[in-house]
Amino acid sequence: MLSSMPRLPVPMLPLLLLLCTMQAHAHSAVVKIARVITPVATLDKVELTLAWPDDAREGRLRMHAARVDAAELGYHFSALEWECPLRRDGNGGWQCDGLLRAGGSAPAMLSINLASASTDAVLSSKQARLAIHRRAATPDDTTIELSKVPLAWVQALSSQAWAAGHLRAGSLDGHLVVHAPEQPPLRVSGHLRATAVAIETPDGSVASERLDGGFDIDYRSFPDATEVSIDGRLSGGEFLYGTSYISLTEGSRRFAIDALRKGDDGWMFPRVEWNDGDSLRIHGSAGFTPATDLQTLDVSLESSDLGSLSKGYLSGWLAIAGLSGLQAKGALEARIGVKNAQLAVVDARLYDIALLDPGTALAFDGLDGSLRFSDGGVVDSQLQWTSGSLAGIPFGAATLPWRSSQGDLDARADIEVPMLAGVVRFEGLHLRLPRDGKGFTMRSGLVVDQLELGRLSAIFGGPPFSGTLSGTIPVMRYADDRLDFDGGLTMQLFDGRIDVSALAMERPFGVAPSLTADFALHDLDLRTITGVFDLGSINGRLEGRIDGLRLVDWSPAAFDAELHTIRKAGVRQRISQRAVQGISSVGDASFVSSVQGKLIGMFDDFGYANIGISCRLSNEVCSMGGLHSAGAGFTIVEGAGIPRLDVVGFNHDVDWPTLVERVMAATSGDVAPVIE
Amino acid sequence: MRRWMGMPIAAVMALTACVTINVYFPAAEAKEAAKEFVEKVIGEDAQQSTPAVDPDSPGDGGGMAFRFDPLMLIGIAPAHAQSQPDITIKTPAIQSIQSGMQRRFDGSLKAHFDSGALGFTNDGLVSVRDASLIGLSDRVAVNQAVADQNRDAKAVYREVAVANKHPEWESQIRAVFSRQWIASARSGWWYQDAGGSWKQK
Repeated sequence: MLSSMPRLPVPMLPLLLLLCTMQAHAHSAVVKIARVITPVATLDKVELTLAWPDDAREGRLRMHAARVDAAELGYHFSALEWECPLRRDGNGGWQCDGLLRAGGSAPAMLSINLASASTDAVLSSKQARLAIHRRAATPDDTTIELSKVPLAWVQALSSQAWAAGHLRAGSLDGHLVVHAPEQPPLRVSGHLRATAVAIETPDGSVASERLDGGFDIDYRSFPDATEVSIDGRLSGGEFLYGTSYISLTEGSRRFAIDALRKGDDGWMFPRVEWNDGDSLRIHGSAGFTPATDLQTLDVSLESSDLGSLSKGYLSGWLAIAGLSGLQAKGALEARIGVKNAQLAVVDARLYDIALLDPGTALAFDGLDGSLRFSDGGVVDSQLQWTSGSLAGIPFGAATLPWRSSQGDLDARADIEVPMLAGVVRFEGLHLRLPRDGKGFTMRSGLVVDQLELGRLSAIFGGPPFSGTLSGTIPVMRYADDRLDFDGGLTMQLFDGRIDVSALAMERPFGVAPSLTADFALHDLDLRTITGVFDLGSINGRLEGRIDGLRLVDWSPAAFDAELHTIRKAGVRQRISQRAVQGISSVGDASFVSSVQGKLIGMFDDFGYANIGISCRLSNEVCSMGGLHSAGAGFTIVEGAGIPRLDVVGFNHDVDWPTLVERVMAATSGDVAPVIE
Repeated sequence: MRRWMGMPIAAVMALTACVTINVYFPAAEAKEAAKEFVEKVIGEDAQQSTPAVDPDSPGDGGGMAFRFDPLMLIGIAPAHAQSQPDITIKTPAIQSIQSGMQRRFDGSLKAHFDSGALGFTNDGLVSVRDASLIGLSDRVAVNQAVADQNRDAKAVYREVAVANKHPEWESQIRAVFSRQWIASARSGWWYQDAGGSWKQK
């Protein structure tokens, strides 16, 4: 596309001056010059031919240059050819309009007017028009007027500054002055208006579409350095830099850049300013590697509308992090420093921020205070929130006093978070942000004090009951998407105790979070349990274990469970008719009774000696067992007294989803007894 | 009582004998399972497995060593030593992730595989190979789809290993899957060879 575009005719001008020195009386003249050197361009193997018949009003001028190099501007042409009718303009000057061709490019019309005090050249192609004006009094300056000039015409100039940037579409209007004195710098300055600019790097990491804006530009080229200052406004379009995607909708934003490059180093931006009103205001400096990767950054930014900041500027990052639904409100000020491509300093001030991520169901309200991070000396800060929720479980206000040094973030004191009428306390919380190729890690002690399990049950629509969760986790560690807990927790509930140990989580905030744990049940009151879960009524005490419980996406994927009753002095062991039906249905069992089956219906409850059931879940199949084997089956309920009733299961392998359905049915009382 | 008398001697023998039983990674079963999974995600008309990709599987020979358990002497052997290892990937969690991956592949990724913008990496993931082939307005959405797909894939590799009670198989399962994505890829799609360079199938 680029090669089809006509190019700047700057090097033509001195050549025509040369032409003026020719004797115009001749019928024809040929001038061959090995090399013409001008401040802007060098022309090699130039051949000028002028044919002027006697008494004719005009002659025929043909110019051919084997090669034209405007090295500082980045333009190189081969086989440049221009042919036009040469005539006097009546004021002592010359005029020539004709087609300009260069190395296979589409031809453009080049009109040149050589007056005694000035030179004008106009290059036009379709709607595009580029007019050049020089005055003999100021030979170092060339004025350029642009009108609908394709951006591709300045590709070579832009490649000088940024080799990888391919200008795919867009046009330029405005005016520029090229100041090319004997001594550098060569300077280009003026005002340009860019329309529908599309830029792309070959790897697609930097790109823009439909960018509109106007800006003052001042470009200076030294032998060993390049400087550019741009000051203007952007009024629309979209822009991508790596993961950052910026979508500019309504309104216009002021921006200013000073850029500097020495030799083959990367670009330095001693001044970067961006003003997008409430969304984002930035000022600071930045430095890039020659491969346009961010190397250093020192910026202050502020946003008084985090909602529009996250929508307009952070969507790319949030999408990659799996937080594309994040809703944010509030205001933020921050200073961010990057050194050697690593985060070195963050000094943020948060003002009443609310965050909600529907994906992970994590929310914070009233997030306020300061957060400072340092990869060097010690800095302190303090953050607080008024409330929040995690997976639908609300938690209360907390204060987080931070200390940061050497890239670590430590809590200066224990962090207490009220939750479920109890408290969760983080002791010695230590965070390490991703750096040196290692991911985010966290380490903390955790004390859980008297969380009310009844409230938890109510949140998830479970039955009401009273119980508490307490415990101490000496160390919990998060690394590589895995959360490990040393120590254990204890649930005080159903007049007994459940110990939870070997806790671990994988992908706690990711895809299909998994939780593994071992549970040990001690002396639970079965009457309360059956009452809470509406399983009829069983009087007695329950013990057992659930080992290797593994929840994936909060559904059981595996466990090895064994539950049984224990005899306790003073505790009557009775089971109600409905509980028998429930257990039988869950255990796919049948009654085996010493009395006539039909008579069972006449009793409300029965005595029992032992109840025991086991299930090993694996691959969606529960391998069931009971107290002991009974012929082809296994005994779940061992009766006692009169009428004596045993419940025996026969189906050893039960489909887990079917079993869950049965439990659901049993708790709703929707079971029909099978009586043998 | 008498039959327990031999136990200490047996235990001493067991400790000094230091027997090691190797349980090998069930490469063939894993390949079959991966093929079924991958072809469901890529779609019905996915090209069948072709020998275009070197089927040499460096992971096949890798085995896990288990310490001899003295309980074996009285007939209680560890379950994994008794049963032939199998690869199960039909847990509800994996199937749910698989459906999500299939929807995402159909909905957004497939078109960009066709265009050459995306490719399968040599570590079982999807990568943007040539972003310039994706319109700028789509690029953020595609980047997100790729990140989501990779998060899902990593979760699958992990879950398959854990569901089969061998978390240490994760990297081998990932290797099997990465070969399968490439083997099941359609003609014209791009993939990364072992050296990391992109090739078109």
